[in-house]
Amino acid sequence: MIKIVKRDQPSRAIFFFTPVLAIFLTLVAGGLIFYILGFKPFEALKFFFIVPVADMYGLSELLLKATPLCLIAIGLSFCFKSNNWNIGAEGQLTFGAIVSGGVALLFYEQERFFILPIVILAGAIGGMIYASIPAILKTYFNTNEILVSLMLVYVSKLILDYLVVGPWSNPEGFNFPETRQFSDSARLPLLFEGLRIHAGIFLALAAVVISWFVFYKTYLGFQMKVSGFSLKTAKYAGYKGKKMIILVFLISGACAGLAGVGEITGPIGQLHREVSPDYGFTAIIVAFLGRLHPVGIIFASLVVAITYLGAETAQIFMQIPKYTGQVFQGMILFFLLASDYLLFFKFKLIGSKK
Amino acid sequence: MNTNLKISNVTKIYPGCVANDNVSLEFNSGKIYALLGENGAGKSTLVKILSGVIIPDEGKIYLNENNLELNSPSDAKKNDIGMVFQHFNLFETLSVFENLIIDSDEERESLREKIDSIMRKYNFSIDLDIPVLNLSAGQKQKVEIIRCLIRNPKVLIMDEPTSVLTEQETSELFLSLKKFSEEGILIIYITHKLKEVMQLCDEVAVMRRGKLVSVSEIKNENIESLANKMVGQNLKTIKKKKVKTSSDQLIKITNLNFTSEDPFETNLMDINFSVNRGECLGIAGISGNGQSELFQVLSGEILSDKNSIEFYKNYIGDLNPQERREYLMAFSPEDRLEQAAIPQMKIFENVALNNFKSSNFFNNGLINENKIKEHSKKIISDFNVNTDNIDLKSQFLSGGNLQKLIIGRELITSPDLLICFNPTWGLDVGAINYIHETLIKINEQNKSIILISTDTDELLKLSDKISVIHKGRLSKIMDSDEVTSEKLGILMGGGN
Repeated sequence: MIKIVKRDQPSRAIFFFTPVLAIFLTLVAGGLIFYILGFKPFEALKFFFIVPVADMYGLSELLLKATPLCLIAIGLSFCFKSNNWNIGAEGQLTFGAIVSGGVALLFYEQERFFILPIVILAGAIGGMIYASIPAILKTYFNTNEILVSLMLVYVSKLILDYLVVGPWSNPEGFNFPETRQFSDSARLPLLFEGLRIHAGIFLALAAVVISWFVFYKTYLGFQMKVSGFSLKTAKYAGYKGKKMIILVFLISGACAGLAGVGEITGPIGQLHREVSPDYGFTAIIVAFLGRLHPVGIIFASLVVAITYLGAETAQIFMQIPKYTGQVFQGMILFFLLASDYLLFFKFKLIGSKK
Repeated sequence: MNTNLKISNVTKIYPGCVANDNVSLEFNSGKIYALLGENGAGKSTLVKILSGVIIPDEGKIYLNENNLELNSPSDAKKNDIGMVFQHFNLFETLSVFENLIIDSDEERESLREKIDSIMRKYNFSIDLDIPVLNLSAGQKQKVEIIRCLIRNPKVLIMDEPTSVLTEQETSELFLSLKKFSEEGILIIYITHKLKEVMQLCDEVAVMRRGKLVSVSEIKNENIESLANKMVGQNLKTIKKKKVKTSSDQLIKITNLNFTSEDPFETNLMDINFSVNRGECLGIAGISGNGQSELFQVLSGEILSDKNSIEFYKNYIGDLNPQERREYLMAFSPEDRLEQAAIPQMKIFENVALNNFKSSNFFNNGLINENKIKEHSKKIISDFNVNTDNIDLKSQFLSGGNLQKLIIGRELITSPDLLICFNPTWGLDVGAINYIHETLIKINEQNKSIILISTDTDELLKLSDKISVIHKGRLSKIMDSDEVTSEKLGILMGGGN
């Protein structure tokens, strides 16, 4: 007979094992879905997870998608570790893109070395401004940050929509909903000839290192950790709870804003309606799959980035909608939450006695 | 009819602990049985098995020779076993009557009559139509008891029923229990309070570390003999030496008020007191009368008017706990696991929660782990915390060891004033003794203590002066030599 028993202490090994298990279960369930749809499961999974990254171009695309996911997830990990449920990173990304795009358009047709740093900074500030709204409403008016941050996503998308259709639309653009192309000085340099991977990846890597340092080596990180476990304890210790909440929102907004900068100044080079294929939402899955740990987030962002690529390949080769990618992302989160049960419980074989 | 309840060879094993080790006991109606033991002795597990909440790994329960299959609380109810838990299971916003009928399928009218007759019989007077949140703790407990009585139970189990009651409410409860017993209900009374066992019960079963260590008649026992059985060793009694305390005033609270926006909190009204160096001021009261709010106001978790708290010539009412620590104040909150420490964090990380500038735990914003660890080791050895691994998560410390760690963490900076709230709540006798000795030692070093506690014996043992908090107001401050527990009981209940 199998019995479920509570674990005395969740081991470190199981803590990192369950995300792997979740990915495995996702593959099994995905294969099953493909089988039901009438495809050969192994072949379909190959198209989904191996073909897209089989060449240099594929790898570059993988890193291109993983960069914003990683950057946003790192920012979100600050919020989530301290129990602030910012799920509006998509909005912070969009607003960051709007502000940095606006600055880039100001320098339209100018080539100066200082333009790119200003554009990047503007994106971070844009994200911070947008993230400060739910933070301030939460700390001073007791609103629920989940609702506020989520609803602000749609506000930012509508603002972007208005700008690219209206005042900022390209005068020579035949009424396409997009702005002028940014000048080269406002664009993140490409790393390799012919590939789309750009310097934004260094921003993500810097975020990883900095967040690791802050979390594990600084008093600030310690305070965040304590506040995350128990606000009552944080209050008792004398930490400034409200400042802490606003701070983590600002960090998270800045990261999302930078991801927005990467999108518009990297591969796209202009503002248009859809600056992000929901990176801000998907990054929530990445953050949890990576256990809110900087290194874990790197791996998780690569895994989840594949689902974006796989969905595109599957659409081309197997004529299935690219939304399958979202199905896979959903399954990863689902199985992760389910297998987290193993953190607290274990199965035990016991001899049947009569 | 006579009721006979038999527990036969019951064993329940949890990972790392045997909660009940082959326990066999027999009860007969007409007597009141005490089940006595320290926290963690296994008495709660045993009664949860009797009430169907926990299923034992081995062993059987017989009621009048019938083997009972108790797989859920409703099985226990069906078999006429009623239980009143330590924490009430009532819906605060529903009326008393609604709470009583909620798990019954009888007709409303006939139930109402039944409830009325039960209340007449036992002299309970509770308005059935007011919401439960307006009741006192004693009345709430009566509601729970009525809920059991509706089902005409053969067995009534009471789990630590007096922890929230005043002395007066306790004696009322005891009268009712005796009456139930005369009517043939078998009563099992769980407690760790020896006095109550002597007062109320006819037989006593003592448990220690999951094992039944003795069953005896009360007339053959006394408080000391029971205490020794419960703890398993001979206890030394500690007594505070009364010394003349200084007249050097350390802290003075003037016209302190706190109005809460939360309806479940208590407002503090016009609090005034002062504490001299070397003195221990005890604040008694039934829980929920503003103790938690008073602690938070004193610790700085709730800020107040700057001038309302004067600490050695400084006005500190508007400072947060961190800032107050720099004035040499220390705080030990009631809730060890949710406030004073974080169970998921390591021991040394918990030590860093009391961050004192001169301890240099954090330099230029960076964590100075060596310093924290060094400090933690000192606390562990100075305060007898039973572990040698400061990398251990603190959830693996027993309650007593965790409390020693917390008190140690607060005291190692040698503060002038320690404010503690129920410092020995839920601890075993050994740890309680250690904490009490430590607190006495602080006073002897001319340091002061404000001791907020719901344990009257503890307060009488440790305090130089005592006041009682009732509904957010503080009684006048009395010399502890002139106070008896009866007097405190009256004040705690709101009398004069």
